[in-house]
Amino acid sequence: MDNVNRKWYSGMLTTEDWWAVWIGLFMFLLGLLSLTGVDLVGWMAKTHTWVLGHPEKGFATSLSAAGKAYADMSPLASFLVTYAVFTALTCIGAYFMKLNVKKFFIGFTIIFLITWACWVIGHEAHFKATPNDWDKYGITWGLSLGGGFSYILALAVGLFIGNFMKKFAGFLSEAAKPEWFIKTAIVYLGVKVGLMSMEAASYTFELAAAGMAATFVAYMLFWPIIYTLGRRVFKLPRQWAAVLSSGISVCGVSAAVATGGAIRAKPIIPVMVAMLVVVFAMIELIILPGLYTAFLIEEPIVAGAAMGMTVKTDGADAAAGAIMDEMMRAKAAQSGIFWQEGWILTSAIMTKIWIDMFIGIWAFVLALIWVYKVERQPGQLHVGPSEIWFRFPKFVLGYFITWFVYVVIAMFWPDLVEAAIVGANTVQSPMRKMMFMLTFVSIGIITDFSKLRGMGRLALLYAIALVFIIAPIALIVAWIFHHGMLPLPA
Amino acid sequence: MKVDLELVLAHDGTEWIARNGSVVARGRTLSELDRELERILAASGKYRRGTRVLVLMGFDNSTIPTWIRQYAAHYFNRYVSIEV
Repeated sequence: MDNVNRKWYSGMLTTEDWWAVWIGLFMFLLGLLSLTGVDLVGWMAKTHTWVLGHPEKGFATSLSAAGKAYADMSPLASFLVTYAVFTALTCIGAYFMKLNVKKFFIGFTIIFLITWACWVIGHEAHFKATPNDWDKYGITWGLSLGGGFSYILALAVGLFIGNFMKKFAGFLSEAAKPEWFIKTAIVYLGVKVGLMSMEAASYTFELAAAGMAATFVAYMLFWPIIYTLGRRVFKLPRQWAAVLSSGISVCGVSAAVATGGAIRAKPIIPVMVAMLVVVFAMIELIILPGLYTAFLIEEPIVAGAAMGMTVKTDGADAAAGAIMDEMMRAKAAQSGIFWQEGWILTSAIMTKIWIDMFIGIWAFVLALIWVYKVERQPGQLHVGPSEIWFRFPKFVLGYFITWFVYVVIAMFWPDLVEAAIVGANTVQSPMRKMMFMLTFVSIGIITDFSKLRGMGRLALLYAIALVFIIAPIALIVAWIFHHGMLPLPA
Repeated sequence: MKVDLELVLAHDGTEWIARNGSVVARGRTLSELDRELERILAASGKYRRGTRVLVLMGFDNSTIPTWIRQYAAHYFNRYVSIEV
């Protein structure tokens, strides 16, 4: 019964979800030790804006160690230590998850190098710097793409590999784990939200509460509408309609699998729906950040929350939120408005986290309805509430732990805040952003658009539901609960 | 919950299969599977007629495709009471 979830601790060493918690909390705890005056995370490599051919701000300045205590560490040493630490941690996770460790190691190394190459190239001033910074870097022209360009470049490279170098993508797939990387990043994001709470506690909690309310309303509207559309218009069998409804309207692959399990569907049903979800999430990731930046610049938090309810995988949603955060801040900066980094991203992720947490409860309720009302097979004893725990997104525990620890420090030991921030800043910034970058490359590698071929009716229903039902309702619900909220000024 | 029999459940694309070291039951639907299991348990001689056997069928999560497991690592467990 090794691969069966039987005990509450089942999967603690064998699932990506839990390994996001372990790697997330490990670095969080190392960072927290800055309270003792020791910086154990400052070796982390960090990118800087640089200028090609510049005598003082050239390529050699593109990287440095993040911590002041490591100021004398060479950029190359910092990069190599970063590689060594994260490769070791992820390979340990790969071993326990019974992946092919050798293949994982090679694949991760390649993805790591691609990631950092995109990150450094994306920070060249002619790509990144906005016009108000051109003088600072001694340049007279630029594309003004902001920090988001690194993400877009990483995504583009990943997609190229995934769609035009399929054999290579197949080899890398052992290590291309976007959900693992983004869940780890979200645990680190908890540190950032903790720091944001230190500064604006009531606003952060308001954002969280609004996100919860919006999620609940969206669930109640989306699922029945899509289910009815699937059954009445597209004539799908009950099980297909239920799984597809959850995949489209709740939270993508995890909701599709949870629903498939809840209604005891043949596994092929959620697997097919999952393929659709992953491809469409990528399409949303490509289109929505630019679209929302163009039309919702006055309501950036509405845009973030709507993104969280519309983009259907954690990886794609966080990625889209990160790109949109950069795009919207760059656009606002052109008008002389400077917002703090991370609020728009947080609104996108907060909504998604509430959705993730509700999936287990939703699947439990659905299982009760299906088992006791729809199918009513004799002998079915009960649906165990343990099913809620097995489906609960464990990375969310890491996110809330890291968030609340910093809130508690700020509330009860304000004198320690300055020392706490030393480690926190490294974890919540370069470490988190690196995990985001790894996600971008990986999500591109695993997304093969040709999988839509042959999906016919399902793909059509998905597209119609997304464009005409999910996205508009998400925007309306997000507006109701978040309108008027803005990122804090930088 | 304490159970009398634990089986690992999987689907091979055509039918559900529930097995442990000594029992293998198959069925195109879960109802069929339960009836087949009832027949097997009766034939085994281990249980008196009329006994209720509580069975846990835990889905073998290693059969979930590897690329999906990072999104969802649990399918379902089912508890079934079978009268022999």
